Amino acid sequence: MRRIKWAPALVIAALLIGACQQGTTGGQKPAKLTIAAVQGNEDAALKAVAPLYEQKTGIKIEIVEFPYDQLFEKLVTTFKANSPTYDLVMMDDPWMPKFGTDESLQPLDSSYGIKRDSDIPDVVYDVGTWPPPRGPVPPAAKGKAAHLIGVTIVGNVEMFMYRSDMGAAPKTWDEVKANADKNKKANFWGYVVRGKATNPIVADFLPILWSFGGDVFDSNWNVTIDNAASLKAVKFLVQDLKAAAPPGSESIDAADRSRLMAIGQAYQSTVWPGEITEIVENATVSQVRGKVSYIPMPAGPSGKGIGMMGNWLLGVPKASPNGQAAADFITWLTSSDTQKTYVDKGGIPARKSILNDAALNQKNPYFSALAKSLDAVPNWRPRTDQWNAVETILGTNLNAALAGLATPEDAVKKAADQIRTLMKGAGY
Amino acid sequence: MANVTVRPAPLARAGAGRFTRQERLAYKMLAPVLGAILVVVTYPFLLALLQSLQDAAGHEFVGLRNYVNALVNPLLYEALAATGIYASLVLPTEILLGLGFALLVHRTVRNSAWRALLFVMATIPLVLPPIAVGVIARLIYAPGYGVLNHLLIVTGVIRDEINWLGQPATAMPAVASVDIWQWTPFVYLVLFSGLLTVPREEIEAAQVDGASGWDQFWHIELNYLRPLLLLIVFFRLADVLRVFDHVFVLTGGGPGNTTQLLSLYLYRIEFKYFDSGQAAALAVMVLVGVSIAYSLVTRLLPVERR
Repeated sequence: MRRIKWAPALVIAALLIGACQQGTTGGQKPAKLTIAAVQGNEDAALKAVAPLYEQKTGIKIEIVEFPYDQLFEKLVTTFKANSPTYDLVMMDDPWMPKFGTDESLQPLDSSYGIKRDSDIPDVVYDVGTWPPPRGPVPPAAKGKAAHLIGVTIVGNVEMFMYRSDMGAAPKTWDEVKANADKNKKANFWGYVVRGKATNPIVADFLPILWSFGGDVFDSNWNVTIDNAASLKAVKFLVQDLKAAAPPGSESIDAADRSRLMAIGQAYQSTVWPGEITEIVENATVSQVRGKVSYIPMPAGPSGKGIGMMGNWLLGVPKASPNGQAAADFITWLTSSDTQKTYVDKGGIPARKSILNDAALNQKNPYFSALAKSLDAVPNWRPRTDQWNAVETILGTNLNAALAGLATPEDAVKKAADQIRTLMKGAGY
Repeated sequence: MANVTVRPAPLARAGAGRFTRQERLAYKMLAPVLGAILVVVTYPFLLALLQSLQDAAGHEFVGLRNYVNALVNPLLYEALAATGIYASLVLPTEILLGLGFALLVHRTVRNSAWRALLFVMATIPLVLPPIAVGVIARLIYAPGYGVLNHLLIVTGVIRDEINWLGQPATAMPAVASVDIWQWTPFVYLVLFSGLLTVPREEIEAAQVDGASGWDQFWHIELNYLRPLLLLIVFFRLADVLRVFDHVFVLTGGGPGNTTQLLSLYLYRIEFKYFDSGQAAALAVMVLVGVSIAYSLVTRLLPVERR
C-alpha cells in the first residue's frame, strides 16, 4: 500500500530528472532557440533570415530585442545570475573583454568545432577570441588558452564619408581639415563632430587618435592618453575640426550626423555602415544618394589611417542548455549561401567574396571601403574588462573639452589621472 | 433575590495561543500585504545592504570600504550638485504652475465637460514613457533641426541658433523643462482634486465678509491643500532622484558632467564601472538621505490643517 502511495511521486521525480538531463546535454534538437538582440538596423537582417532557418530545420528562432544600453544591462545581469534565458546573444565587440574575463560564454571552437573560414578576415575572428590573440592582455586573462567565444554577424568598421560630387577623397586628416574649411559656408558644415558625451565622442575620436600615433594605453597598460601625440589628436578634434562643425557638436550623436549629411548640410564625417544603409543611402530620406563616397580612414601624422571595429557578434551563454543547436545556427547564418540572402535583407557582411562582389557593390556603395578597411586591419577598442569605465571617463572629459568647459590639456590630464586610478584599482 | 454579578464574557479564543480569533483574522488579512512588502521592499533592501559590504564581485566582505570609496569620489558631489540644481528648478516651478492652473480652472471653468476634457489632457503627459518624452524633447532642442530654435529664428527673437544642450547654462534648464512639462499636470490634478474638497459654505461666507480671491486662497483653500502639497513634494522628490531616461537621451550627462544626475551616476557606477558594491552603498546612502529629507519636509510643512 505504502509503495502505491509513493508511486506517483516517483514517476514525477523520474520525469523531472529526465527533463533536466535532456536540457543539459546540449546535443538534443530543441524546439526553439532564443536570441537576445539589439534593436535597430543591426538585427534587421537577422530577423529577416531567421524564418528560413525554421523552414530548414524546424527549430523556431525567437528574437528578443532590446535597445543598445538595455541589451548590455540585460546580458550583464543574465550572465551574473547564470540564467539559461537565452541560447544566443548579440554583443557589441567592446563588450567581449567583460564577458570573456567573466567567462560568461561557451567556447565555440573547442566545444562545437566552429573553425575559421579563409573567406572571412582573421581580424574578424580575432575580435571574438578571448584572451585577445594580439595586443596587451588583461592580468586576469594572462596564461589562459585562447578560444573563439563570439562570431561576427555584423561586420561594422568605422569609415569615412565625404561629398564626392564636391571634391576629391581626402588622403590625410590635414586634407580633411583643409576641405572642411574650404567647403564651410552658410548652412553647410565642413565637418560633423559626433560629440555627445561618453561612447559617441570616444567612437568618433579613437580613429583620429590612432591615426595621430596616440593611444589610450601602451602595450603594458600604461595610460598614454596624455602624451604629446594623443594631446595633438585631442586638439585636432576639439579645436580644428570643431571650427568647421555645426553648433551643438557636444550633443550630436550618430543619427544627427547622418541626418546632416542626408539633407545636404554637411561635407564629411566619420561613419558606421549602419548609418549608410539606414539614412545616407536610404532613398526615402536622403537627398544625397550617389553624391557621397565612402573610404577607409584618412592617414594622420603617423602615416596610417586606422579604422575602428564595431562588429556585432553572436555568442552562446554558458548557461544555455542548447549549445550545439546554437552553434549550428551561427554556422548556418555565417555560411556563404545564407550571407547572400542576409545582405539582400540589409545585413552588413564580413565575407571578402561578398564585399568584393561587383554586383553587390553597385547596390551597396560602401562595400569596397569596408573590404579595404578590413584588409588594412582596423584597431579594436582596448581589450580590457574596464573599457566601459575608461570610455565613460574619456568620453566625459573629451566632451567637456569640446564644450569649452576644459582646455584640451586639462581634459586629458584629468582623464589620464582618473583612468590610472581605475586601472590600478583593477589590478593592472 | 440574590445579587448576581454579571461579568463580561472573555473574548472568544478559538484554540491555543495568545491571539483572539479577531486578531488572528486581522493578521491573516494583513499577511498578503506584509508578505508583498517583505518580498518587494525588505528583501531587496537587505540584499543591497549586504552587497554594499562586499567587494565589486560580491565575493569578499570589505566592511565600510564601499561607503568610503563612494564618499571620496569627487564625481559623487558633482552629481549631487547637479541633482540639487535640477530639483531646485523643477520642484518650485511644477508646484507653482500646477497650483496656478488648478486655481484658474477651479475658479473660471464651471462646465463639467470642459473640466473633464482638461482632466484627460492633463493625464496625457503622465502616461507617456519617459524615453519617448526624451526623444520628443530632442526634436525640440537638438542642434540643427530643433523646433525651438527654428521658431525663435522665424519669429525674429534670435538670429543664430542657441546651443541648448551643449552649454551648462542652457543644458540644465532644457533638461529640467522636460520634467516640468511632464509632471506639472500631476501637480495640477492632485491640487484640483484638493480644491474640490473645500466646503462651498466657507468660501461663500468669506465672500460675504468681503474676502478677496487671494484671502480665500491663503486663509481657506491652502489649509485644505497643505497635506496634498506634502504628498506632491514627497512624490516629486522621489521622482527627481530616479530621473534617467530623458537626461540620457538629451545630453548623456553632458556637457562634461553638468547634467549627470544622481541616478545616471549610480547607473554608471553599476553598469560602466561594474562596481556593484559601491553602487549598493550609494543606493543605501540615498535611501537614508531621502528618509532624512522626508522627515525635514514633514516638519517644515505640517500635514494638519491650521
